[in-house]
Amino acid sequence: MGSAYILSQIVNGVILGSMYALIAIGFTMIYGIVRLINFAHGDIFTMGAFTTLASLALIGLPFPVALVVVVLTGALFGVVIERIAFRPMRGAPQVTGFIASLAVAIILENLLVMTISAQPRVFLVPEYLNRLVSTGVITIRVIDLAIVALAIVLMIALVFFVHFTKVGIAMRATAENYDVARLMGINIDRMIMLAFAIGSGLAAVSGLMWGSKYGQISPFMGLLPGLKAFVAAVIGGVGSIPGAVVGGYVLGLSEVLFVGLLPPEYSGYRNAFVFGALIVVLLVMPNGLLGRNTETRA
Amino acid sequence: MYFNWKSKFAAFAASMAIAGASPAVAQEPINIAALYNVSSGGLASLDGPSLNGVKLKAKMINDAGGLLDGRMIELTAIDTKDDTREAATAAQRAVAIPALAAGIGHSDTTFALASAALFQTAGIPFVTSGATSPDLPAMVGDEMFLVPFGDDVQAHAMAEYAYETLGLRNVAVWTDNAMDYTTGLSKYFVERFTALGGTIAVQDVYMTADQDFSALVARLQATTGVDGVFASSGPDTAGIIVKQIREAGISLPIMAGDGFDTDLLTSVPGPTLSTNVYFTTHAYVGLETGPAETFRKAYEAEYGIAPENAFAALGYDAMGLIADAITRAGSSDPKAVTEALAATAGYADAVTGTIAYVDGSRVPSKPVAIMHVVDGAVSLDTTVTPKS
Repeated sequence: MGSAYILSQIVNGVILGSMYALIAIGFTMIYGIVRLINFAHGDIFTMGAFTTLASLALIGLPFPVALVVVVLTGALFGVVIERIAFRPMRGAPQVTGFIASLAVAIILENLLVMTISAQPRVFLVPEYLNRLVSTGVITIRVIDLAIVALAIVLMIALVFFVHFTKVGIAMRATAENYDVARLMGINIDRMIMLAFAIGSGLAAVSGLMWGSKYGQISPFMGLLPGLKAFVAAVIGGVGSIPGAVVGGYVLGLSEVLFVGLLPPEYSGYRNAFVFGALIVVLLVMPNGLLGRNTETRA
Repeated sequence: MYFNWKSKFAAFAASMAIAGASPAVAQEPINIAALYNVSSGGLASLDGPSLNGVKLKAKMINDAGGLLDGRMIELTAIDTKDDTREAATAAQRAVAIPALAAGIGHSDTTFALASAALFQTAGIPFVTSGATSPDLPAMVGDEMFLVPFGDDVQAHAMAEYAYETLGLRNVAVWTDNAMDYTTGLSKYFVERFTALGGTIAVQDVYMTADQDFSALVARLQATTGVDGVFASSGPDTAGIIVKQIREAGISLPIMAGDGFDTDLLTSVPGPTLSTNVYFTTHAYVGLETGPAETFRKAYEAEYGIAPENAFAALGYDAMGLIADAITRAGSSDPKAVTEALAATAGYADAVTGTIAYVDGSRVPSKPVAIMHVVDGAVSLDTTVTPKS
């Protein structure tokens, strides 16, 4: 097992982790602001992949334009779902929102099955994204570089937005305490809507990345990545954006290294390992790596 | 006894009809159920064509005047939605159909096990068009019949082809550990390949839902002396595996079983990457003579496309095999149909090779077609009958 082998496995883990991190950010933002475990988040990811397919294959948009279209439609989906399914339940016990999000997830999946059938679809990207880049030690594709670069840019932009812009500060205030935020003149409905828009836009972009990388999409593709992003968010500390990023990379890396460094007989148990890790983290650090005790909100 | 009452009523209605109307209208239909995953998952790319094949054969029989002096085949197709629980529920619905003569279905062993057990309990024969585990009859019972060859036969054929024709000596084996079909296929491949004198460089496993094979690909790259990969995969991961292996710059021959007989194999990686791939399947549908030609032309006339893969032909053969058994039994009573099926000595109208159940076996022995993929185009390379 040479160092080139370990390096290439680390690269694989970083690519996978970037996608987990982007999905986990949306998960954590939505949880942070409305205390909702949104199980429909993985289906927004699926919607993102199908929107990309439609804009590339049906409408024939160039790839960069499709990227923008996907972010916007993903955000729109998030806003509409929040307005229809979650806003009427605000103030209800947490479990109500959780059930509502499961319902939304099942409705979205079935809607896709009814309209475009559940057969896996081919997802083709422009040829330049499939080109190989060789660094001498390892060889990766342009799409892999683009995934990591785009993920990092989006994450830095988001952290900057949340910490240094007025709207970002208002969002954090809303996450902290609805009543005080409202007293400060913050329109909390708008802040919640914004959290859904940003989170869902990022999930949709990760759907685009996933489809571009693996070349095949289906209406149920969001199930496992959605659950793993949830695990990533919990590992990082639910509600913390840097936590979701760290959690995503920790999960992606440990999943790939679990497969890559252990004997091949264990490769099939990667998902069992992921969810096992979740239980261990919850036992040792109930608030995750970077989280704080979120149940004490006033 | 609701169903007894209902069938008595049906018989009564039928006798009234005989008294009143023309005899052709009066004939009771022969009920046959077809269970397939048509709406969900990668298996739909096998099950959909199979169901079309079943329907086509039933229609051709009916157009030619039906069976047993003019009785029409009435086919009830039930979607099992890529879920084994749905398959069991569908089987329950099917066996409750009054006077059901036989069931047909499935292209996967796990699904066939879920459905066939209920047919076994109800005493109705179940003919699988595409599930290939040779252990199915032993696991289910005397109502279970296979139209295709068993996985032992196709894996042995591929192992011999790999060793003798491709000249491979040290291969990597990837197995989907979540399916009965794929785990069996790998076992039989390794058994024959090592018996021939080959070695297995590395055995790696994954689960059907996995999409990221980067860690497995990296391990393959780091293993020295590998000259081929046997990917025991279902249709869901066929295209993804080829794409990821080729994208890493690995050009080794990739071998597989009939789970690769799906359009996803060529469409997902695209024509440049889907190359140097070999897979085994049921005798091919493009042949120009005999039953294969009749089938291909009828399929094109009915659906406007050429048969998608060998599974369309298997569905067609399953329906034909049952019709043949009903004719020989002279009855649509499930018990008589089972006996006639077990006594099949050579059903020669089959597109995928003559079906005979020899010495109490309910798995036919048939030649295996080896397909070769070059730049996204699939063609028949050769036909192999493995040494037993």
